[in-house]
Amino acid sequence: MTENIAPYIALSGVRRAYRIGGEMISIFSGLDLTIPQGDFVAVMGPSGSGKSTLLNMLAGIDSPDSGTLRIGTSRLDQMGEAARAAWRAHNMGIVFQFYNLLPMLSVAENVELPLLLKPLSRKERRIRVDKVLDLVGLAGRAKQYPALMSGGQQQRIGIARAIVSDPGLLLCDEPTGDLDRKSADEVLEMLRFLNRHLQKTIVMVTHDPQAALYARRTLHLDKGDFVEEKRAA
Amino acid sequence: MSTHSRQALVMIRTNLSSLPRRLAISTSMILSVALVVCVLAGFLAMAKGFETALNGAGSPAVAVILGGGTNQETGSDIPASVIRTLDAMTGDLGVTRNADGQLVASREIVVPVDVKQTTDGAARTLALRGMDAVGPSIRDRIELSAGRFFAPGAREIVVGDRLANEFGLAVGDVIRLGAVDWTVAGHFSAQGSAFESEMWADLEAVRAAFDRQGQVQSLKLRLTDPVTLKLLQDKVTTITGTPLVVLSEADLYAAQSGRTASLIRLFGWPLALLMAVGATAGALNTMMSSVTDRTVEIATVRALGFGRLSAFLGTWVEAIVLAGAGGVLGLFASWAIFNGWQASTIGANNTSMAFQLAVTPDVLVTSGLLGLAIGILGGALPAFAATRLPLTAALRARG
Repeated sequence: MTENIAPYIALSGVRRAYRIGGEMISIFSGLDLTIPQGDFVAVMGPSGSGKSTLLNMLAGIDSPDSGTLRIGTSRLDQMGEAARAAWRAHNMGIVFQFYNLLPMLSVAENVELPLLLKPLSRKERRIRVDKVLDLVGLAGRAKQYPALMSGGQQQRIGIARAIVSDPGLLLCDEPTGDLDRKSADEVLEMLRFLNRHLQKTIVMVTHDPQAALYARRTLHLDKGDFVEEKRAA
Repeated sequence: MSTHSRQALVMIRTNLSSLPRRLAISTSMILSVALVVCVLAGFLAMAKGFETALNGAGSPAVAVILGGGTNQETGSDIPASVIRTLDAMTGDLGVTRNADGQLVASREIVVPVDVKQTTDGAARTLALRGMDAVGPSIRDRIELSAGRFFAPGAREIVVGDRLANEFGLAVGDVIRLGAVDWTVAGHFSAQGSAFESEMWADLEAVRAAFDRQGQVQSLKLRLTDPVTLKLLQDKVTTITGTPLVVLSEADLYAAQSGRTASLIRLFGWPLALLMAVGATAGALNTMMSSVTDRTVEIATVRALGFGRLSAFLGTWVEAIVLAGAGGVLGLFASWAIFNGWQASTIGANNTSMAFQLAVTPDVLVTSGLLGLAIGILGGALPAFAATRLPLTAALRARG
């Protein structure tokens, strides 16, 4: 899968295998992928197709055995773990399937977490948190605790946390997998808004064909390789 | 504040805030640390109280002469010739003299006597010290708290305050010691030192009652200054015929207290350390459970870019806080239970010696540090484990 314009994400000849029970199981054996800046890509595929491994590598949580993995100007495949963590903190937001909010922190404190990694004053952090909470429609809920909120609202907190440090890339792992249809559509609308109006590049892993319709294109992964690509009308 | 500090503070706060989720196991860790700290503090308080009682009894300004080659009053014997020789010595011996130019000295013997307790009727062996009339005034910090001192030649005793309280001996009471009756003439205070476990009487009366005519076990002399002890020692070495030991009263009692206090500590420390090993294993288990409980939270913040150090500190500080809470609880319990507790043991001269357990600041600090050490050691491995959690746990886990 290649693009003619300069890619923002580029995987080339990526190989990744895991040892399971003494046997090497190959997930990718030469995966190529390019995603231009500002794209919104949905990745679909059956269980075991490699979606999670792909997402983990893009997030810098996992690294390829061989091949190149570049995001922006950074070669993630050449970075150590600490460097990848630092890179993640400044360039990427992650939206989790089960929100992964810290229940003992308030909404604002959860959203503020990525900003603690930046040299910002308390006031600067508060301004940014207020701004993104307003963006996701949770202004005025800053001091509440996530456990008291609906799944859709919790996922919006998760999105606010992912974009609060203004990263160029959003990785979404089944962001609507735990939501009802109405809440799922609200979250997906929000992701589309972020893509279209704030130019965030989004890679979303999903099992939900409805969710994939919100993306600009959908890639189907099977047995470690892309087998189909659909573009939104 | 640096970004590392902010990360660590958030992790510490989230860990501590989530403690109610692990209430039972966290409480068990606090209680086990408290128990270790309390036990150690109890032993140290016992040793400290014993030392305080004996050290308080000794004055550096009082010299003790012992005969027969021993450095304890038991088994010591000073021949009358030695005392005559000392009395005959002219010039400066470093010892205070009275208006007549005679040495201010008290000849003393200690006789173990059995006394029945009023509470259970059981007999305890106490020290009856026979002394010259100047005996009480030679010593430091002795005050008459009731009645008067014994009269020369009379079968009268003055009883230490602690003993009087314990045995209910009031002024005017008659008590049978050996084969004869003695009247309680007064009570004396010795600031809680070992002297308060003794009964004092006139030397000749004690000798007569217990068939110890002519015996002198120790000679107490008031030094003009503590530094003149050396001068007295030099003078005494010129006396031949019997081996004599000259030491300060402070050194005499310090040596006695040191042996027993060391014995108490020798028993207390291994027991406390053994318990501490068990408590450390418990702490390790508690903190491993904490890490398991917070796997998703730790992996999530690390996926957001938090460093390993924050994960380590969050868990480690939680362990130290729990151990600290246990330590404080243990110290408070030890203070409430042990401080001022009356205890008794066999002291010098094979007689009973009462003392108060003393939970002093150094006892609190030492015991408290052991409690903290449990948290520091028991929390380190789980804290390290927290830094090694796979971050993939965050991506697909239900938070």
